[in-house]
Amino acid sequence: MATQIYQAIVDGILVGGVYALMAVGLTLIFGVLDIINIAQGILVVLGAYLSYSLSQRLGIDLFVGLLITVPAMFILGVAIQWAFIRPLRGRERTSMTLLVTYAMALIIEGVLYRIYGPDDKQLTASYVTSSVHVLGFYLPYIYLLGFGLAVVLVVALYLLLYRTRFGRSVRATMQDHTAARLIGIDTSRVAALTFGVGVGVTAVGGMMFGATSGGFNPNSGYDLISRLLAIIILGGLGSIGGALVASVFMLTIVSLVDIWSPTWANAVFYAALVLVLLIRPTGFLGRQAVRAQ
Amino acid sequence: MTGDARRARLAAGAKWSALAVVAAAALLFPVVFPSPVATNYGVFALIFVTAASAWNVFSGFSGYISLGQAVFFGSGAYAVGIAARDWHVTSTAVFALLPLAAAVGAAIAVPFGLVALRVRRHTFIVITIAVFFIFQLMAFNFSFTGGSSGLPAPFLPWQAATYNNAFYYIALACAAGIIVLAWLIRRARFGLHLRAIRDDEDRARGLGVRAMRVKLAAFTLSGAVTGLIGGVWFLYLTQVEPQTGFDPLFDLSIVLMAFLGGLGTVAGPVLGALIIEPGQLYLTIRFTNGYYGEILLGAIFLLVVLFVPRGIIPTGGEWIRRLTTRGRSALPPALPAAEVKPEIRDPASSGPRGGAG
Amino acid sequence: MSHHRARFLTLGISAAVAAATLAACSSGGSGGSSPPATSHKPILIGTSLSLTGDFSADGKAFLRGYRLWVHDVNASGGLLGRKVKLIYLNDRSDPGQVVTNYTTLISTDHVDLTFGPFSSLLTTPASQVAARNGFAFIEGAGGAPSVFTAPANEQAHNVFDVSLPIEDEMVPFVNWVASLPPNERPKTAAYPMADDPFADPPVQLAQQKLQALGVKTVYSKIFPAETASYKPAADQVAATGAQAVLLGSTDVPTVAAFMQAFEQQHYNPKMFICAAGPDQGAAFTSAVGKANATGMMVPNGWYPGYSNPESQNMVNEYVAKYGGTPSDINADVAEAYSVGQVMAQAVTATGGTDNAKIISYLHSGVTLNTVQGPVKFDELGKNSSAAAFTFQWQSSGTAFNQVLPTSASGSVPIINPKPNWAS
Repeated sequence: MATQIYQAIVDGILVGGVYALMAVGLTLIFGVLDIINIAQGILVVLGAYLSYSLSQRLGIDLFVGLLITVPAMFILGVAIQWAFIRPLRGRERTSMTLLVTYAMALIIEGVLYRIYGPDDKQLTASYVTSSVHVLGFYLPYIYLLGFGLAVVLVVALYLLLYRTRFGRSVRATMQDHTAARLIGIDTSRVAALTFGVGVGVTAVGGMMFGATSGGFNPNSGYDLISRLLAIIILGGLGSIGGALVASVFMLTIVSLVDIWSPTWANAVFYAALVLVLLIRPTGFLGRQAVRAQ
Repeated sequence: MTGDARRARLAAGAKWSALAVVAAAALLFPVVFPSPVATNYGVFALIFVTAASAWNVFSGFSGYISLGQAVFFGSGAYAVGIAARDWHVTSTAVFALLPLAAAVGAAIAVPFGLVALRVRRHTFIVITIAVFFIFQLMAFNFSFTGGSSGLPAPFLPWQAATYNNAFYYIALACAAGIIVLAWLIRRARFGLHLRAIRDDEDRARGLGVRAMRVKLAAFTLSGAVTGLIGGVWFLYLTQVEPQTGFDPLFDLSIVLMAFLGGLGTVAGPVLGALIIEPGQLYLTIRFTNGYYGEILLGAIFLLVVLFVPRGIIPTGGEWIRRLTTRGRSALPPALPAAEVKPEIRDPASSGPRGGAG
Repeated sequence: MSHHRARFLTLGISAAVAAATLAACSSGGSGGSSPPATSHKPILIGTSLSLTGDFSADGKAFLRGYRLWVHDVNASGGLLGRKVKLIYLNDRSDPGQVVTNYTTLISTDHVDLTFGPFSSLLTTPASQVAARNGFAFIEGAGGAPSVFTAPANEQAHNVFDVSLPIEDEMVPFVNWVASLPPNERPKTAAYPMADDPFADPPVQLAQQKLQALGVKTVYSKIFPAETASYKPAADQVAATGAQAVLLGSTDVPTVAAFMQAFEQQHYNPKMFICAAGPDQGAAFTSAVGKANATGMMVPNGWYPGYSNPESQNMVNEYVAKYGGTPSDINADVAEAYSVGQVMAQAVTATGGTDNAKIISYLHSGVTLNTVQGPVKFDELGKNSSAAAFTFQWQSSGTAFNQVLPTSASGSVPIINPKPNWAS
């Protein structure tokens, strides 16, 4: 029984790393720009498909391919924000972003169906199925690399947000949009670039998702988005570290409950979310409401 | 009678007769278009008119965007299914179970609301999503809900040619009911309280609005009606399963419908539902190949949100106003002194008169 | 003009537009031609398939199967001398759309006959539309009990499932285990199942029987069809070290995820059988790798090597049209093709497209032939003649062979134990 619990905790941490990579982009976008990016799920899938094409057609390794997919999706993110989200204004702006991103998700899904068809695809590489034997547990390389990447990314984004001028502009915009403009920050540029960073990071999440999921097709985005939303709210909107903590926390709970009853594991996931939110509405690492809600 | 008053009378008259025309059209639709294909579109359209309007009564008026309406929709469907099975209800008697669906919807809304309405905006949205998934999972896991197979609806021994008509009229009654309710709420103080909460909840509270009660009341009403229409939907499709009764796309669709038509207006969700639901069903048939249907749908939504951001009715209203008042001053003309009633001519108490404000 | 008046006017205009749209939708069809008044008009067959949404991969395979059949039937002169035309619509794996589709097919396109959609989830709402319009509903992918016990079917008896009823499909496997000497049987078994009415019954029945044989159950859990990750459940199974795994899966990704986790855990079950997934041809082998596919077993009613002449013909045509090898063919293709064959035999036997006659004919206890073997319907429409065979991937994942029942004609020796994972 004890081994089962340890195994479950290890699994929770490792899978949590994968989810963190998918959620980090979402929390950045939601927290900084107040945008409910329903398209996050399909963007993860898009990242997976891009890695798929690179590895199948050009034989480029999954991790090396990130050097191409991340900038590509960064540009896509900037374009989407500039073309479709920037024009939105008014009191209902947040809800409108929900609809715009839903529309984008439909379009991207349709395009993926056209290009790749409905069959499930996988990301395969020689190291995906090998693992290292540590303390009686087998830790698959792909998950270790993924978790490592998640930590690296979290640190990198943290540095970006707290040690660079751009990061300061982003945080200023997040705290008070109008005040930021008043002191001369070009908030539209900040918004576009932040959205781009959020989507670019999602390319990494997409690759990891593709490599660990057993198979994905254009329809796979729907399952993801609700879990990702839950994770980022739990971690605190805009908190990069929070996304990692919340991912690991949630996946560990799911993993532990899996021992007893997998069918209830998901319900516990959501019930835990509701519980935490009632006690602490801003999530684990979210700051107190900095904007009038 | 002044020109203005006469115009106002005419406008009111026009309004009421227009509504009468719409009502007559709705009632006569199955008569004019008796084909099951037409009435099928009608049934689905009206189901979504009801659902979108019910959503709007809470979310549109109060500003709390809920993505958990499917909780009520599915619960209503399951309530009818479980009752029909356990109480051995067959054939047309099954329609008598519909009030039960509404009651179940309301009963769930109360604890759901008490939990969820304590938080604001973004957190609220996610809590509604979380509760939605909890319900879907319960539907999968419990045996009394039929597990992953779901529940069937009793067989109705009706003729194929007119089978849809009863559903059409029931759905129409539900839709009419929620539309009238929404209109009444809008005009009543209750509606004013909701709008005050939407504009600035803290200030509303400060002004004495019992925010939690108001929100909960609207939420419960919304839940009851959505549960009711969920029951109707179940009887029409004759099967409910966890993924179809609790379908995440359902919530996104009704939000989109309300937005398309105009959030917070009474007619907005109606219009949005009438356009989107039959539109989506039809476009899928028309563009069945090549995945164009999805891309087209997404593109249409995108264009609508970008160019008609506040919804068709408010934006359309603005366009028409701009067209008709072009060239004229924005201020209404001052009334000649003789037409102003003597009571307001007291110079001490009157503020700006006529058009000076 | 006042604010309210302008809004009202907008409402009026848009309502008129909406009404016009609704009217247009109602009168427009899906492209079905209005039949000329000659006696050689084509036979119109309508169906709804999931070309997008949850079931899109299977929907595509089904469409190929239906189309192959239509092509073959027309090539040999049509049915009763009339050409067959298939009208298909996408249902996005959505039950509301499937009801709308069949209503449109029946009342606007005036199809003569209907074929079923994919999945039990969609078959039930669709079959009741067909039932009240008096249409026979022949399908190959709706096998859950709820399809047959649906109230509309219990009244109209119009549903006919040509495929293998699922409950007994792992019985040949259990019988084979029972036939082994006691020291060669697995000592322990794990039963992970997806929460689906298609996947669970066969595994649960197998569990009962194997327990009675003395095989110890070390894991038996149902997991949700949509889960954050299969890894925790798969790792738990791996930790038990069970010698046999009976996986209640519904698709390839589930199987692939379990296999991946097993490989990562260096866990090699000696016997591994899945409810679905390995029967999907290339979709399966490309997901898990040909070498790893070797030894994987799956129950089914058809395989590409089946020596039935019509089946071979279908296989050759499929390969000619879509490329690949026979082992790449998804079993859904054969299911769809069988639906067409049953319909053809019913139409020919009753001399026309009268659905009431077709329904009586199919319920008359007659045995029909399909690429999946013999078909005979019981009173609820289940195929009581279907024989469950078990198949295994062999020859380094290049051959999908029938292995059980060992005595059945066409069975080749089974690979036991399953080889270790390739990496």
